[in-house]
Amino acid sequence: MKSSLPRGLTIASGLLALMLGTAPALAAKDVVLAIGGQPETLDPYNTNTTLTTAVTKSFYQGLFEFDKDLKVRPVLAESYTVSDDGLVYTFKLREGVKFHDGTDFNAEAVKVSFERVLNPENKLARYNQFNRIDKVEVVSPYVVKITLKDAFGPFINSLAHASAAIISPAALAKYGNKDIAFNPVGTGPFVFEDWKQTDYVKVKKFDGYWKKDFPKVDSITWKPVLENNTRAAMLQTGEADFAFPLPYEQTAALQASDKLNVTISPSIIERYVSFNTLQKPFDDIRVRQAINYAINKEALAKVAFNGFASPAEGIVPEGVLYAHKMQPWPYDPAKARELLKEAGYPNGFESILWSAYTTTTAQKAIQFLQQQLAQVGIKVQIQALEPGQRTEWVQSAPDPKTAKVRMYYAGWSSSTGEADWALRPLLSTEAWPPKLNNTAYYSNEEVDAYIAKALRSVKDEEKAELYKKAQEQIFKDAPWAPLVTEKNLYATSKRLSGVYVMPDGNIEASEIAVSE
Amino acid sequence: MLHYFLKRLLGLLPTLLIVSVLVFFFVHMLPGDPARLVAGQDADEQTLALVRSELGLDKPLPQQFVTYFTHIFEGDFGRSIRTRRPVSTEIAERFMPTLLLTLTSMVWAVIFGMTIGIASAVYRNRWPDRLGMTLAVSGISFPAFALGMLLMQIFSVGLGWLPTVGADSWKHYILPSLTLGAAVAAVMARFTRASFVDVLHEDFVRTARAKGLNERIVILKHCLRNALIPVVTMMGLQFGFLLGGSIVVEAVFNWPGVGRLLVDAVAQRDYPVIQALVLMFSLEFILINLVVDLLYGVINPTIRYS
Repeated sequence: MKSSLPRGLTIASGLLALMLGTAPALAAKDVVLAIGGQPETLDPYNTNTTLTTAVTKSFYQGLFEFDKDLKVRPVLAESYTVSDDGLVYTFKLREGVKFHDGTDFNAEAVKVSFERVLNPENKLARYNQFNRIDKVEVVSPYVVKITLKDAFGPFINSLAHASAAIISPAALAKYGNKDIAFNPVGTGPFVFEDWKQTDYVKVKKFDGYWKKDFPKVDSITWKPVLENNTRAAMLQTGEADFAFPLPYEQTAALQASDKLNVTISPSIIERYVSFNTLQKPFDDIRVRQAINYAINKEALAKVAFNGFASPAEGIVPEGVLYAHKMQPWPYDPAKARELLKEAGYPNGFESILWSAYTTTTAQKAIQFLQQQLAQVGIKVQIQALEPGQRTEWVQSAPDPKTAKVRMYYAGWSSSTGEADWALRPLLSTEAWPPKLNNTAYYSNEEVDAYIAKALRSVKDEEKAELYKKAQEQIFKDAPWAPLVTEKNLYATSKRLSGVYVMPDGNIEASEIAVSE
Repeated sequence: MLHYFLKRLLGLLPTLLIVSVLVFFFVHMLPGDPARLVAGQDADEQTLALVRSELGLDKPLPQQFVTYFTHIFEGDFGRSIRTRRPVSTEIAERFMPTLLLTLTSMVWAVIFGMTIGIASAVYRNRWPDRLGMTLAVSGISFPAFALGMLLMQIFSVGLGWLPTVGADSWKHYILPSLTLGAAVAAVMARFTRASFVDVLHEDFVRTARAKGLNERIVILKHCLRNALIPVVTMMGLQFGFLLGGSIVVEAVFNWPGVGRLLVDAVAQRDYPVIQALVLMFSLEFILINLVVDLLYGVINPTIRYS
């Protein structure tokens, strides 16, 4: 139809549009996204900060990625096959993809990127995410074969993690292992433009992007704004189109604004209290059960989280692959007192409760727990640990027997989106500090066996069954008091679409768009 | 005078040396392992060892001490543990915003504070005094955090006159410097008033009035000069504090200054950054003190240095 219009008329109407100043295609679409922390690097292989990878995702892509609901989907890989023993993965790569510097994306680029992180001399912080890889081989320009040392069930999930980015081999050769962090070159929808550490990271549209008609905006400015209330104010003044996280108290005010959309979305961040099961009185399961009964999780969610959380349903929160939902422990202080009496503490006992964070929410949570425990006669001293104290007293404690940690309020979100990384670093025997974060010093041979077996398995049903058994056993042994699962709270301007906060606290913005 | 100045400058070196040695040991005594903080909770022991050796933290403390000091003498303050960028760049980027904000806050705070202070002293126990001191007490008592948020809500969100964050144009300076200067203005007002009240009772003031001088000249020429000494001391002190960067104001207005850098550095046990910042703060204080001492001589010519 369009081509049948007389050419002159099309031009005339175009001119008319220009004269009226309504040429929409000419308006620059620049979006400002306000986030809660400064990216410390732009090298996705050298960070453990989720928000940092939210930024690097603008210019870097991996073979796979998580969508906004944490489901794995292929990006630079088109498909893959895995050998029966779970050791050899063969990937068919997408053709016709170019890096921002014009280099072709191919199997060689995959090999170079992964071999970089695997080389201990490069000293990258995400080394252990990849160290199960034995070798990466180029089969043909668009087929790459990765052989693992041991079978590793969540391998594809670990490749979907934002840090498993494919970097332009030409850029890596040009800038070297360290300076690539300041000159990122990937295949993503945006080209890195400018990083002013204190102020912003700016990226602009990549014209050679492989996905047709994307990206739909001209530039994104990631703006780290550390103060919660300031981010909220920026949304209201229109200086930012998106802000995350937001202060719970501001929700009502932001919802009232007709310029903003406020979204409450599920998260996979679970808050819990771990008990040092090597130490009296927590070596007695009745005491651990008593504490579980003594805490009103509904009230905790309301008081400390302003309702933006719900009682934890099990050990691994819903949204994580192979999570098994269980009824939250009921609130029953009478039962708690009875159990304490049985365990030989009719008048309760004294202990300490540390929090892994110093945020307002964490402070409120431990104060609330302190009051709840006092109701059944348990007197706890509370202390919110700042990061240095936390690493020293909890994570680096050299000897389990003398570790000072007793009750410990913490939280976790599985970075691979899979049950393995929600259980193994927190509850397996091998994860006792100082190795990883089993702050309960929990040890159950059965659970260890389930986790180890599931890790090697490549069959979905088998894994689901093993993880279910592990979670049920842990729930019964009660090394933790599971408390709540948080919710993510974020807001966008009405003109913005396609930006989501994912359950793991990362940000999905690949289809970011603004309306006129 | 020049001789005195040079002598003081030379005396600065041992002070800085002692400060840097002390700071080195203090930060290394803080509980907390920077390698673990950088590596994050997902890291296993092997990765941790990699990070530790990358940061040079696997070496024994005496060796780290020697490396640190030899580098300092070469003018190299090392790299930030958190960002891996040179410490000098990290600090340089944030120093100017802090300095400019400090200067703008000081200027309005001093003008405003001294005017109120003088007016209060001259009209002691009358309404200008009561009004001025009410303002001053409010300025001291109102927390900067709340004041900043309040100003932002009114002028940025409500009226839309001023931007919320950033440091790009003069408009960006208005709210943060008002917030930052409020407490200083209040302190200045109270100090000026107290000092002025004392001076007003001096004999030379009575003499000046007795010889028929205009009251304005008595106040602004004879009294001001003499009342200024303690005020200038206070001014120097406040200036030094503000140069350290206001953590609260920088957080509220997302100001890219040194205060926030220090907080981040301490939280992450970023040893090189903490050490360099503390050294810089010490240097600033010493220099300001020196300038204040020299100003005494200018204000009151009876003070002489040799």
